[in-house]
Amino acid sequence: MLELKDLENRSIYILREAYAEFKRPAVLWSTGKDSTATLWLCKKAFFGKIPFPVIHIDTTYKFKQMYAFRNNLAKEWGMNLIVARNEEAIKEGVGPKDGKFECCTSLKTQALMSCLEENRFDALILAIRRDEHGIRAKERYFSPRDEDFKWNYKDQPLEMWDQYQSTTEDKTHTRVHPILHWRELDVWEYVKQENLPVNPMYFAKDGKRYRSLGCEPCTSTIDSDAKTIEEIVEELKVTKIAERSGRAQDKEKAFTMQKLRALGYM
Amino acid sequence: MNVNVVIVGHVDHGKSTLIGRLLYDSDSITEGRVEEIQRLAEEYKRRFEFAYFLDSFDDELKEERTIDTTGVMFKGKNLYSVTDVPGHKEFIKNMLTGASHADVAVLVVAAEEGIQEQTGRHAFLIHMLGIKRLFVVINKMDAVDYREEAFQDIKNEVAQLLASFGYHHVDFIPGSAMEGDNIYKRSKRMEWYHGHTLIEALDGVKLSKQSKPLRFAVQDTYLVDSDKVIVGRVESGTLRRGDEVVFHPSEVKGKIEKIKILEGELEKAEAGDSIGIVASCEPKRGDVCGLVENPPVPTEEFLGEAVLLDNSVRKGDVVELRCGTRRVKCEIKEIQEKINSETGEVMAKYPDYISQHEAATILFATEPLVVEKFSDIPELGRFVLVQDRNIGAGVVLEVPK
Ligand SMILES: Nc1nc2c(ncn2[C@@H]2O[C@H](COP(=O)(O)OP(=O)(O)O)[C@@H](O)[C@H]2O)c(=O)[nH]1
Repeated sequence: MLELKDLENRSIYILREAYAEFKRPAVLWSTGKDSTATLWLCKKAFFGKIPFPVIHIDTTYKFKQMYAFRNNLAKEWGMNLIVARNEEAIKEGVGPKDGKFECCTSLKTQALMSCLEENRFDALILAIRRDEHGIRAKERYFSPRDEDFKWNYKDQPLEMWDQYQSTTEDKTHTRVHPILHWRELDVWEYVKQENLPVNPMYFAKDGKRYRSLGCEPCTSTIDSDAKTIEEIVEELKVTKIAERSGRAQDKEKAFTMQKLRALGYM
Repeated sequence: MNVNVVIVGHVDHGKSTLIGRLLYDSDSITEGRVEEIQRLAEEYKRRFEFAYFLDSFDDELKEERTIDTTGVMFKGKNLYSVTDVPGHKEFIKNMLTGASHADVAVLVVAAEEGIQEQTGRHAFLIHMLGIKRLFVVINKMDAVDYREEAFQDIKNEVAQLLASFGYHHVDFIPGSAMEGDNIYKRSKRMEWYHGHTLIEALDGVKLSKQSKPLRFAVQDTYLVDSDKVIVGRVESGTLRRGDEVVFHPSEVKGKIEKIKILEGELEKAEAGDSIGIVASCEPKRGDVCGLVENPPVPTEEFLGEAVLLDNSVRKGDVVELRCGTRRVKCEIKEIQEKINSETGEVMAKYPDYISQHEAATILFATEPLVVEKFSDIPELGRFVLVQDRNIGAGVVLEVPK
């Protein structure tokens, strides 16, 4: 078994490296289990207080429960929360009807880009994991993005041992992935061990639960009877269903995800 | 136990297929994936390949080659993180990225082709990375009618190559990743072979920690409640409250008053632990501490073996060197031997420069830092070279006393 302690140690090391190497880091928080666990790791790394802003990208299409969860925890953990929205696109009524790719690009990627520019963040901490889907398996812990947010996946930096490439030229930022080496199961076992708060939508109601949380129109449930964290852990030990099977942007076309990511999507 | 396995070998010898086979036979493929792959194969007008179980970039499918590393996990007796690395020379930096965390390497050699350029180079590099456990799969045995002589011939050839890198008594497994022989399941088509299947060999791996002297690398100092907390990682050995330690190159001495984590205080911390300490002295990021009785020794010169992935470097060039959390300027003082990274042979003595993809033993003159001989404390015996970006990597061979 992968020891949670080893996973945690490594993540804390990475977070502290990022904090030492970058001038203006920030962490992205979707309110989902992975990014909430990442915030908890930040609290561990920095002894209780997250020393940089927490960004939540609000597409306005998130589930009601996510907003409530966000506001409560932000208060409880004393976060410096920045809510990023692409107000212009929201006013124009951009939504899933315009196509998943367009909608994600406009409401998520664009919103994030403006937020980064305004605040001049040079590092963005993201809770992606290698085992999630597709090309995330190829990510580095420190991954540079160019000024257009593009991920040059054909020429990624050499990243050996724990020597992460932290030099970025002007106007670019680096994505930092402290839980890249965790599996979905590890995250749930960690949630259980650390007694972390989770959005109740992850638990089964009437035989269905959310396994991954996104925007309401593009996220669907899986069949499940797991009503507690323990039951989720047991379910994951035997399941053969991919984690993001309920997320529309992964399904629509095999490589939509790659394109989105190359364009700076999370 | 978690075991990191890297699969290396020349392009097209069957690395990705072998991993796909391991995933498939160990029942680790998610639902719908087989159908998804059949659909993809159709879209790209290809036949079904086990290699498609690995995630890939659009371009990798189009160009039919692996560009960057991919990681997958599956469970046997151990929990395996398996890394697929590209077999092309131009992607060596991705290969090293993938191999640098490996505990075990599997070298794949196709039976009908034998040793090719990257077979040697990958063997050289995993040797340089200090990966001691190595298994060789002689793959595509189906293409040579599962003949024992074919296996023996290649085995002898490869054994000789590996011996030159110091690998003796290596297990050789005749297999077919495509047909599934001796990878996860025992083959009935090679009755002459009585050794392990690949999964049996991997399941037999035991990782043990050696006891080493204490080394703690400083990342930063935070102010927590009125305590100045020095954060970092125990790289080797054990750190205990009350220890008398010395930090180098800052050259400050002190006593460990507290070992802190968010939840409270600890009596001791072990190798791998990310912790905070409160000590009666003020070290800096980049410092390394050890016990006063067995301290790290700062140096301004050491001999390393490095491979260059980007650019070329000349004698007299100054580059940045990173080891642990320390970054220093260092001069390429002397290139002692240029090494052919394909064969390990010395190509030139005291050349003026080395180029991309070449390896060399180099005498570095640096600002003071702590490095350890790679064979003693690997955690502080490896470094990367930086010139705007990470351009090379190496290990420490000798540190003058
Ligand atoms: N005959 C035969 N072909 C194989 C075997 N393993 C892989 N191949 C084929 O060799 C080609 C290259 O395999 P791949 O796994 O992509 O090689 P890699 O570049 O080393 O990852 C593919 O067409 C595979 O179908 C095998 O055991 N027998």
